Amino acid sequence: MSAPTLTAVATPTAVRLRDVRKTFRRRRREGRAALDGIDLDVAAGEFLCLLGPSGCGKSTLLNILAGFTSADSGEVVVGDRPVTGPGPDRGVLFQTPMLFPWLTTWQNVLYGPKSRGALTPAVRDEAAELLETVGLADARDAYPHELSGGMRHRAAFARVLINRPGLLLMDEPFGALDAITRAAMQRFLLDLWQRHSMTIVFVTHDVEEATLLGDRVAVLSAPPGGTKDVVEIGLPRPRRYEDTDTLAFVEAKRRIREVLER
Amino acid sequence: MTTTAAVAAVAAVPEPRRHRWRRAGTGAASLALVLIAWEAAARVIGDAVTLPTVTETVSVLVRYLTETYPEVQGKTLIQNALISTARILAGFLLGSLAGLALGSAMAGSRVVRDLADPVISVIRPLPPIAFIPLFVVWFGIGETSKIALIFFGVLPIVTIATLGALDAVPDGLVHASRSLGASPLRTMLHVRLRAAVPGIITGARIAMGGAWTSIIAAEMIAATGGVGFLILQAGNYLQTPLIFSGIAFIAVLGFAFDGLLRLLLRLADPTVRR
Repeated sequence: MSAPTLTAVATPTAVRLRDVRKTFRRRRREGRAALDGIDLDVAAGEFLCLLGPSGCGKSTLLNILAGFTSADSGEVVVGDRPVTGPGPDRGVLFQTPMLFPWLTTWQNVLYGPKSRGALTPAVRDEAAELLETVGLADARDAYPHELSGGMRHRAAFARVLINRPGLLLMDEPFGALDAITRAAMQRFLLDLWQRHSMTIVFVTHDVEEATLLGDRVAVLSAPPGGTKDVVEIGLPRPRRYEDTDTLAFVEAKRRIREVLER
Repeated sequence: MTTTAAVAAVAAVPEPRRHRWRRAGTGAASLALVLIAWEAAARVIGDAVTLPTVTETVSVLVRYLTETYPEVQGKTLIQNALISTARILAGFLLGSLAGLALGSAMAGSRVVRDLADPVISVIRPLPPIAFIPLFVVWFGIGETSKIALIFFGVLPIVTIATLGALDAVPDGLVHASRSLGASPLRTMLHVRLRAAVPGIITGARIAMGGAWTSIIAAEMIAATGGVGFLILQAGNYLQTPLIFSGIAFIAVLGFAFDGLLRLLLRLADPTVRR
């Protein structure tokens, strides 16, 4: 996994949420919870973590931003356009990589451009470069089931980044990985974000992960979810996993916990 | 030292291929064992009507590959096999297509699902053979009744397999496709249906097994040709070697069709490739 370098440069987009409400009538599925008036602004190029107990609606909020589900009321604006449905301007990384199992790594990465009829030689070159960046140049013709957990996640990254999204939505993407792979992926994500301007909204229930990654951490309250508070992390960048032992880091974690337990 | 060398030599052969050869070898050995047991039993019994020897059966089989049975107005084994195969193919393809369409419609529309579900649930457990007399009354003893029988046997199985496979496609795959920029139609065809293909093929394999049961039964009850008809004729004249020949033909054809479907499954689903 080399240091990420990319020619594909996106313009980061800002996010604006005003009084976003959502309730589910009956048949409420697990992991889907009500939202009770969310107000939140994410600046262009910012790394924002959404933190909260399970069932607080953080995944629901992400799904609304992605356009998979719509809010009952309120304002959801990404860039300068209200969200009306899913689109390639907002890249989504799921809890599991959700690669298409019948396509090779290469075909998975090209799925977006191909679906939109935008498959040009330049895009192919970019895809090859992306695979190099995520360290999967040798796994180009492998199927997802032949890849390790971390490799699948990196392939999912490449598949999203080929679309040059201004906003990256991540729903507990490293939750199912072992601790070592997880640390490697966090480092990979930070490197990527450091070099390429992108707005990231990252859902997690892990205080340490939120502290390590985020510029700010929006803490959601238990269901029905609302924004409890937004905590500025204020730790210097670039951050490394080794920094988690420092006094400043522990202090930042403590501030978030205080908000969580409020 | 020698142990290491031996291990290295074995490891040089790709693991899957070694397994495949060993499995093929075991399979052939077990078949050979059954044939030996058959031959031994036939010699002990010593009565060709009860149990002909393997060699007798093989010579009868080879003879009727090209000779007709009965001699007057009869058909050869190959002709009968072609008749049965054509019926299976027609009924199976029509039934599978209809099942695919109905299952997709049920997966896509609540109304269609609620309407079709009780009907399918009632039809599915019925043995298709029960309908043979009805189809003969409706369609005569020609090809239509045979094809209809297979059609109605295959339809519910492929419908339920299609519905189940489509329902089982993770929402995440559909969401991923949409957020990568694919249209709803493209997502339906290239992701939802595509992800369901292995499950649909597995349903088709089960339906194919049932189709052979139905067609042989139908040919024994009301037909003038086909392997089932030949077996019944041979039985009426106590031509036991020919009965075995007919059964052997069904076995080979059934194995060949299932092999084709298995091949399709391997092409559709990279995870079963090895």
